[in-house]
Amino acid sequence: MRRVTISVLTLVILAAFVSVALAQAPPPAWKQGQPPEMASSPLAPIPLPPTPTPASQIPVGKIKLPPGFSISVWADGLHNARQMVWGARGTLFVGTRVANQVYAVVDRGGRRAVKVIAKGLAQPSGVAFKDGALYVAEIPRILKYENIEANLDSPPAPKVVYEFPQGAHHNWRFLMFGPDGKLYFNMGAPCNFCMPPDTHANVSRVNPDGTGFEYVAFGVRNSTGADFHPVTKELYFVSHGRDWAGDDFPNDTLHHAPRKGLHFGFPYCHQGDAIDPDFGKGRSCSEFAPPLLKLGAHVAPIGTRFYTGSLFPAQYRNRLFIAQKGSWNRTVKQGYRIMTVELKPGAAPKYEVFAEGCHEGDKALCRPTHIEWMSDGSMLVSDDMHGAIYHITYKR
Amino acid sequence: MEAGRKKASPCAACHGPDGNAATPGTPSLAGQPAWFTHWALIKYRDGRRKDPLMSPFAANLSDADMADLAAYYAAQPPQARPQVVDPAKAAEGRRLVDAHHCTSCHRPDLSGQHHVPRIAGQDLVYLVRLLRAYRAQTVGDLDGFMTAAAQPLSDAAIESLAHYMATLPASPSGR
Repeated sequence: MRRVTISVLTLVILAAFVSVALAQAPPPAWKQGQPPEMASSPLAPIPLPPTPTPASQIPVGKIKLPPGFSISVWADGLHNARQMVWGARGTLFVGTRVANQVYAVVDRGGRRAVKVIAKGLAQPSGVAFKDGALYVAEIPRILKYENIEANLDSPPAPKVVYEFPQGAHHNWRFLMFGPDGKLYFNMGAPCNFCMPPDTHANVSRVNPDGTGFEYVAFGVRNSTGADFHPVTKELYFVSHGRDWAGDDFPNDTLHHAPRKGLHFGFPYCHQGDAIDPDFGKGRSCSEFAPPLLKLGAHVAPIGTRFYTGSLFPAQYRNRLFIAQKGSWNRTVKQGYRIMTVELKPGAAPKYEVFAEGCHEGDKALCRPTHIEWMSDGSMLVSDDMHGAIYHITYKR
Repeated sequence: MEAGRKKASPCAACHGPDGNAATPGTPSLAGQPAWFTHWALIKYRDGRRKDPLMSPFAANLSDADMADLAAYYAAQPPQARPQVVDPAKAAEGRRLVDAHHCTSCHRPDLSGQHHVPRIAGQDLVYLVRLLRAYRAQTVGDLDGFMTAAAQPLSDAAIESLAHYMATLPASPSGR
């Protein structure tokens, strides 16, 4: 029944598309929603270099950290590295977007070997691991590679676990297992700004075998990272605000979803407090779950992980780390950093810089993307511009 | 540059010694943004683009080979292609370039930038073939923007766009 609904919807969208095309075709997705007076704006998404940067040329020394912390390049040669996840036997799996590949990094006595274990996938940015199997979320599907760590040199053909409804833009995904053993992912709005089809603009979950699909959070423009609180086990996720509405509006946001089914406002209400002049007519922001925190406009939060280790000073325990890839749709760059959020019951969230220095004026020097923790409590950060993974550690 | 010049010798038969091709159907590489040529080679190597000549050639290239070739061709001055263009189609194509937002990524003079190719002054037959391939989704693009842009194009619109692009001066991208 659901499939029938989708195909009818697809036809309606297609019909609208064709009728528009006779006069004016839709602009490229990144430009959609740009007001006419900004038509000659030089702002555009930051293009990705065709090759990863060798470790010796990555300006990792520009990254500033709190006292006692240090950063180094842990692995390079991972073109377009995005989400990371550990296998049970110590393999680090790394997804990508436009490199269309998935990597496995094997640590051999301090030297890291990088293997390509899957290629030709459609923006396979999300990776998750459970019971010996690697799960990869690409735009059309979730794939499962069983017993992967015993077969890194000749990976098994994947099983298709789940097929997503169509829509490429904003549908590269994060993927992770929740404390309930289910796979969580985003289905972003297929536009900069629009009334999304019912199937999109949400965070959702399925069982590891692809059954039991459920929407978890509605009205989410594009969530690119999430985690579950180490104590309460409740879901926290970030979302990107729309483009072309100003340098400082709307904010990207951090959300808290203590239960499923909440609506977070897209496209009716921006950043919890600004009703949209078109889609929000007759609505009120009070109808929707407000964000827990405004993160800044265009900062592009991605990697979102709670710290549960004990290597970092005690104040970091259970804090949320948010990597921010940084802005493109803003005249002065913002983001390009890692922030932390302290969440204490009854207190306002405390939002602090952890790592910064990844841009100088208009030049992007590095782009912190996703976060994964080492077993000793130190931190790995991927950089999809340089195709590298950094190691951030702490010494008293 | 010198490394790229040497590595480009097998390419010269089709693309010309300096990347200015003369054969209809073969694109000119001179003055193309280096990242465009490099990404195109990556796509031939990983199968997102397929061609009986280019696929086997790219299969054996390293990232360094691709970077050398891309830098060499980016530095060569592009020349106009001698080709017969239909002025009526070109006039219609000029209108369609605006209606289909080609300049959003390819720049106002269609000279390309970053990973986006120069299409001004490119070969007519090649432009038609590639636009049809994007429409048929038999050629993969990085981010889906060209695939989306090609979907509403009729055969006639593709012809017109190509005729207009072919009339434009082949100015180098400059980046």
